[in-house]
Amino acid sequence: MDVRSQVAMVFHLDKCIGCHTCSVACKNIWTDRKGAEYMWWNNVETKPGTGFPTAWEDQEKYDGGWELENGKLRLKSASKTQTIFNIFHHPHMPTMDDYYEPWTYDYQELFNAPPGEDQPVARPISMVTGELINIQSGPNWDDDLGGSPIYARNDPNLESLTPEARRQLFAVEELVMFYFPRICNHCLNPSCVASCPSGALYKRGEDGIVLVDQNRCRGWRACVPACPYKKVYYNWNVGKSEKCILCYPRLETGQAPACFHSCVGRIRYLGVVLYDASRIEETAKLPADQLVEGQRRLILDPNDPEVIAAARNNGIHDSVIESAQKSPVYQFVNVWKIALPPHIEYRTMPMLFYVPPLAPVMSERQGTTLTNISEDLFHDIDDARIPMKFMASLFGAGHEDYVRYALRKQKAVRWYRRALTVGDVTAEMVDRMLREADCSREEAEAIYRLTSLCTFEQRFVIPPMHREEAIEMMEDPMEHKQETGFGFLHGPRRTM
Amino acid sequence: MKEFGDLRFTQDPGKSLMLNYMTPHGKWKIHSTYSDNQRMTTLSRGIEPLWISEIDAARLELVDNDWVEIHNDNGVVVTRAAVSARIPPGICIQYHAPERTYSVPKSPLRNGKRAGGHNSLTRIRMKPNLMVGGYGQFTFHFNYWGPTGVNRDTHILVRKLPNLEW
Repeated sequence: MDVRSQVAMVFHLDKCIGCHTCSVACKNIWTDRKGAEYMWWNNVETKPGTGFPTAWEDQEKYDGGWELENGKLRLKSASKTQTIFNIFHHPHMPTMDDYYEPWTYDYQELFNAPPGEDQPVARPISMVTGELINIQSGPNWDDDLGGSPIYARNDPNLESLTPEARRQLFAVEELVMFYFPRICNHCLNPSCVASCPSGALYKRGEDGIVLVDQNRCRGWRACVPACPYKKVYYNWNVGKSEKCILCYPRLETGQAPACFHSCVGRIRYLGVVLYDASRIEETAKLPADQLVEGQRRLILDPNDPEVIAAARNNGIHDSVIESAQKSPVYQFVNVWKIALPPHIEYRTMPMLFYVPPLAPVMSERQGTTLTNISEDLFHDIDDARIPMKFMASLFGAGHEDYVRYALRKQKAVRWYRRALTVGDVTAEMVDRMLREADCSREEAEAIYRLTSLCTFEQRFVIPPMHREEAIEMMEDPMEHKQETGFGFLHGPRRTM
Repeated sequence: MKEFGDLRFTQDPGKSLMLNYMTPHGKWKIHSTYSDNQRMTTLSRGIEPLWISEIDAARLELVDNDWVEIHNDNGVVVTRAAVSARIPPGICIQYHAPERTYSVPKSPLRNGKRAGGHNSLTRIRMKPNLMVGGYGQFTFHFNYWGPTGVNRDTHILVRKLPNLEW
């Protein structure tokens, strides 16, 4: 057992209202710079939809993530020989058309226009060329469309759906949409790190944050196609790649990352999990239907004395272990099993998990409403407007059982609360539902509390960072005087 | 064309469709200002588009993001189309209230003058209870106490913009 610690995350999609406050908070802090205008380290997508960059989930097009070949894991986008051939041109690199050409408006025109018959107007101009542009796409172009012939219908997750399910997804009165906020997943098996010819990307030892060393990056951009989530971006101005840093300067001073801190719907949870690094490879090689369960097994029980001893042995500070014991992420992912990794079939072992959203039921089928037509109390989970196959494609590597389990439990918790607050459901009914959803009353209460009544401190359990024990070598403290997070040039106590 | 609502004096320029027009509260209008700065327009479409059903769009031979010209007795709006399955046929919406300072082209139907904003198509029809007056909040005042969004429900003719001119 090789115990490491990782700052992991949960996004509760049932609570997301799609306000993009997270995106704006991130943009204002980190990417409001020349060359970074088009980057959205945090973005919010409408599902079904193609997202940003467009159709990022289509790995036929972008070649991201890992694949199993003769029992071996290999990067889809790179290998030693391929990297040499593709080093000046990678055929699967997203282009500006796949992102968008950032624009602003010619506001000066409003002041400088010569007198005329008509009022002047500020026309859109490109932030790359400075010329007038015809806006054709943006970072959130399919926002709220919920179904549009060009965008939503090209969502790669729709492939497994029957024609009837597809029709329903795009018919007024039958369709539904939900929001899908995304940041870097700070994966356990990051393909961006593996692809870098310069070794500039690395996973921070003490908290697992994946970073691009700006001194080492040579701008080869191999990480851009390699990341299946398209969360590494190339800065065309400085010629280096950049990505979400999980606001580590904030984390190091005990504050939640900006997108977490500002979240209006309070959908975001953050906490440490302990995991067994010696089993990452064998887990990433599991058959697709076992990946979700395999990743859960990779995450260790922070209350197990053996795990605690092994963690101490690896130099993980007691305060971090304590923090892991209070982690909301461990509860959602391992104890309750209602948070699932996005597209784990890319085999990068993402450490950002999603609680799948409950959707309204189909309003009408066979001329009657669906309420009380079945003995099965969970019939509406499979009759929800979001087809189960669609959710399974996003959160279960195509396997429905994980998603169904999470949704059934969420419904049971709702009915448990309904019995207590509305009182129109009998105790027997609730007990039966909880039993069928594999949930106890205590667990239902705990899920309810952490979902609805959670405080700031319960949502964000941030460990002390212990930079003095950091694994990697840091910046020269003399050069970075008075900056948050300066570290040490020499003498890391622990080693990889 | 049959006279109807705010379409009594409007000439049909051809290839247009009559639709119900509404100006609901916009997604980005979290507060009554700062909604159409560069950051927020980047997160939508760079403009406040006309949301139209894909069925109506097909009738007008409109593709998503095409320019459209919308008019009735009250005025003209020129913007781009957002084609969505979420809009029922027969209705179109433009979220209130974009500034008229950015991305407003000229309107051929207005003899080449600059097109208007979302409220150029609506009209205020005062109801008696809006004119009661004499008591604090019941006294009509522009933008303070008056007809709300639902009163801005009207009808328009929409067509593909024949030529884009700034």
